[in-house]
Amino acid sequence: MTTLLQVTGLTKQFAEHRVVDDVSFLLEEKTSTALIGPNGAGKTTTLSMLTGLLKPTLGSVKMRAGDLRANIGFLPQYPQFHPWLSAVEFTEMAARLNGVAAKQAKMEAQKTLEFVGLGNAEHKKIATFSGGMKQRLGIAQAIVHKPKLLLLDEPVSALDPVGRREVLDLLKGLQQETTILYSTHILNDAEEMTDQLLFLQNGRLVEQGTLREVRQRFDEQNYVIEFDTEEEAKLFASSSDRVKGCYVFVALINEEPTMKELLQRLSECPYTIRKVERQTASLEEIFMKVAKKA
Amino acid sequence: MRGFSVLLQKEFREAWRGWKFLWIPLVFALLGMNDPLTNYYMMDILKAVGNVPEGFEMLIPELMPVDLLQASIGQFQTIGLLIMMATFVGSISKERASGMATLFYIRPISFSAYFLSKFIVMSTVSFISILAGFTASVYYTSILYGTLDIGSLLASFFTYYIWLLFVIAVALMMSASFKTVIATTCAFTLIFLGQIVDMIVGIFWTVSPWKLASYGTLLIRGTMDMSDYWWSLSTTAICTIICISIGIVMMKRNASMVKI
Repeated sequence: MTTLLQVTGLTKQFAEHRVVDDVSFLLEEKTSTALIGPNGAGKTTTLSMLTGLLKPTLGSVKMRAGDLRANIGFLPQYPQFHPWLSAVEFTEMAARLNGVAAKQAKMEAQKTLEFVGLGNAEHKKIATFSGGMKQRLGIAQAIVHKPKLLLLDEPVSALDPVGRREVLDLLKGLQQETTILYSTHILNDAEEMTDQLLFLQNGRLVEQGTLREVRQRFDEQNYVIEFDTEEEAKLFASSSDRVKGCYVFVALINEEPTMKELLQRLSECPYTIRKVERQTASLEEIFMKVAKKA
Repeated sequence: MRGFSVLLQKEFREAWRGWKFLWIPLVFALLGMNDPLTNYYMMDILKAVGNVPEGFEMLIPELMPVDLLQASIGQFQTIGLLIMMATFVGSISKERASGMATLFYIRPISFSAYFLSKFIVMSTVSFISILAGFTASVYYTSILYGTLDIGSLLASFFTYYIWLLFVIAVALMMSASFKTVIATTCAFTLIFLGQIVDMIVGIFWTVSPWKLASYGTLLIRGTMDMSDYWWSLSTTAICTIICISIGIVMMKRNASMVKI
């Protein structure tokens, strides 16, 4: 895998306040990265610096393929369009401003609008568009010139469940061809399409890695044991275990107790065990832990 | 000048679809026909209104065609400029504040191209506007009072146009530099306060952009000191170029002010 973007020590200071503080990461080609963090963590500021709209106070953004500005597509959280243009006019203009030749631009614009599902609205004025349609048009203008890097700021947060599903599927379709970096605070979305996670909090990068790596780091190795009745569960549980209904939660923290000990307890158990399962923390749980740790 | 033709097309579309090519010239045409008509029919208007006392005598000065053109230019200078500047002064700052500029600024465009495309479209709108205004004024003047020499009329027209280019450059420079409210205040102050200052203490100098509008009519009267004229014209042109240059620099510098 080759590195597409190298971000080193990115910092943005507004007066006294450090909005982004010493953020460094790499983006590999054709991977998706989720920038996760609570509101005000500095996600949008980080993305703005990557687009070149905002000048970093310190640090650098380097793209392997040369000029950054010519090779990115950007979707702001609330994209604003000139309402008196039609969808195809806007997309064509976007393509041409990125250097696509005039003849090709119109074709590409139509193809892209078809791809994002605006094929039959391409000649309508943007003024008449709904929120979901604007978001699709926003994606169209970001991908029409086939950029190497796609930056998306909260691409699905403002959409209803149906729209969210559709846009997520759209983005999954793009994953094969481009490198994607998107910010979100909806963790289910991140769980769905991501190779790398970047946790941002108070402007600092507090955790990063693949979903698996992060999971491993934060997994406390909880095992869930299911019994037939609540009584059985209560009788089985030792003082350090947690009981909830027919379930007993056994935590193996730092090999204490060890796996062997747990298995021994299970084998000596007189009741019927319905299920033993290793519990995987959801991204949301990890998120809460990361947030607490930081 | 990357993206110039695309941006120019965008600005033209915006002005066209916002009816700017229609309503601003219409305003100027109305302003232009106002003075020849009201002056000529003054007695009739007064009679029709009906409260002229018995035996009232009024001495109406003998007006030359050039006096009426001067009066029309006076109208352009106040109401005309007000409308034009109010329309143009938000051009950059409003795009920035609304976030519409974001999707343009992230692309590899040149800010000179963006600024100049706006300047060119506004110059075209104002060219058509004063063409309508001058035509209306001269048409009624020639019917009611007498004709003007076409050569000096054209010279006066283009002199006024140079002044308007300066006004547009000032408005755009302010728009690039500040938020809309401050830009409006600054542009209006510079243009209108400049006119007042030039009117009150302007006898001490003869070369200034603010004098250009009145120099246009002096050309027709034939009482213009040509060296003052040329100096004022070139000063205005240089000021316009300076304003454009500052505007481009400020537009680039303030790109990060855009709402994301």
